[in-house]
Amino acid sequence: MTSKPNYLKPTNLESPGARKFWEGLRTGKFLAPRCEDCGELFFPPRAYCPECLKDSFAWEELSGKGFLYSWTELFFSLPEFDTPFLLGLVDLAEGVGRITAKISGETAGGLYIGMPLIIRISNPRDGMALYYAEPLCSE
Amino acid sequence: MTSRQNKRVAIIGCGAVKVGRYPERQESELALQAIRDALKDAQITTKQIEGLFTTPDLQGNIGLQTNLLCEYLRISPKSMAEICCGAIAGGLTLKYAADEIQAGRIKIALCYGAVREASIGWFKNLSQGQGWSMIEPTALQPYAAYGIIWAYALSARRYMHETGATEKDFALAAVRNRKNAAGSPVAAFTKPITVDEVLNSRSLASPIKLLDSAASLDGAAAIVVASEEFARDLSPHPVYLLGWGLYHDNSCVIPTDDCRKSISHFTATREAAKRAFQFAGIKPNKVDVAEIYAPFSSHELIIPEDIGWYQDGEMVKAIRSGETEINGRIPINTDGGLTSRGHPWAATPLYETINLVRQLRGEAGSIQVKNAKVGLMHCEGGMMNNGLVMIFGRD
Repeated sequence: MTSKPNYLKPTNLESPGARKFWEGLRTGKFLAPRCEDCGELFFPPRAYCPECLKDSFAWEELSGKGFLYSWTELFFSLPEFDTPFLLGLVDLAEGVGRITAKISGETAGGLYIGMPLIIRISNPRDGMALYYAEPLCSE
Repeated sequence: MTSRQNKRVAIIGCGAVKVGRYPERQESELALQAIRDALKDAQITTKQIEGLFTTPDLQGNIGLQTNLLCEYLRISPKSMAEICCGAIAGGLTLKYAADEIQAGRIKIALCYGAVREASIGWFKNLSQGQGWSMIEPTALQPYAAYGIIWAYALSARRYMHETGATEKDFALAAVRNRKNAAGSPVAAFTKPITVDEVLNSRSLASPIKLLDSAASLDGAAAIVVASEEFARDLSPHPVYLLGWGLYHDNSCVIPTDDCRKSISHFTATREAAKRAFQFAGIKPNKVDVAEIYAPFSSHELIIPEDIGWYQDGEMVKAIRSGETEINGRIPINTDGGLTSRGHPWAATPLYETINLVRQLRGEAGSIQVKNAKVGLMHCEGGMMNNGLVMIFGRD
């Protein structure tokens, strides 16, 4: 049996500017940097503030809530993922940015644009945690 | 824009290899085949080439392909560049050749691009290693891999949501392209297809299916650009560059840093088109024939709206009523477009331009648009994050 290649390694994905974000995921938190100089809260995390280019940040935990902006059903992916699966483009509720995430707990027929979703974080594997999205049920 | 006062530039020669698979040939030799045909068409010799502009060679030659070509052709150009800016590269070779000629530094330039995407392509190598989404993995977690279809699929779905377009409407564009490709001397896919065949083809990333998609293939294309003075003396059928517009939006593939950025319509295409029309001093409805860079059939509907021929969502009706067919209101992709001509990515804008030149010369045979005087070429990089629109005309 040949083992599947594994590309999902911290060395492949984690840039120094975003290390705090990945560390956050490993402890179950979805973090975004706020520039300590100009106060800009931004996403995705980068080494320099896109507004003022300073590099000192405080990291804030986002709610993880979001709204489905668009979606696709993917029929091919990296060997680590079973296909097909649903991929959502999700506007973060705080309005700071968008993410793509695998959607769990829903079928293509049940998705609609604008649907409220919540970000969940998987258990770390090979030192990496990824996030995914689930429908946010109103209780 | 100072160029309007300057003398115009003209395309005086074109050559292109049939798009396909050439596993046994070198890029340089595919390029030479296209270059030889372009020089013959322009009725010039290699010794007259003063500028050399080409698209990226991503096979590991660290940007030294012009070295090889200069020695091979025994030429010593006074201006040269290998230009890389995503898939817009082929169009940029024409822009920089035109700039150099209008600045008076050179009189004749050769632009070419050779790509062996199917045989040893860059995307192919990338997909064996990493997903494209790894460019911004914090926002684009690496679920999506192997090229960029996932991003276009998200764009297409959003466009459907906003306009009421259906997968069948996208299929109509794929069918139109295939019908046109039958009359192209360079298209890879010429066997007619039906809407049902498109709808029932293999799902890749919904709503995009196999027959909605452009195949990454091998190809090479070359274009000779000359000063107006030279073209008037030498060329029986010069095609003039009337204007161009270039724009890069502050976005990267799927824009993730701002929830207000659209993925169903694209600022870069709109701004590039607006600038090109201003430069050329014409209105969108003066265009007789157009080539647009749509890697997937969904974007055959999106791009014409961004260029300005239709309001947002109006292409749904236009594709249903055949307004973009060869005898329609605005004939688009008359040689099959990316989905049927095939897509040697960096050379694709040159292929588009060559079809326009054939149209404007009246040499397009069965796909000829009657009395075509003005042609528009659109190309892009990323997912429409940047755009180049060029407008050509004959006297």
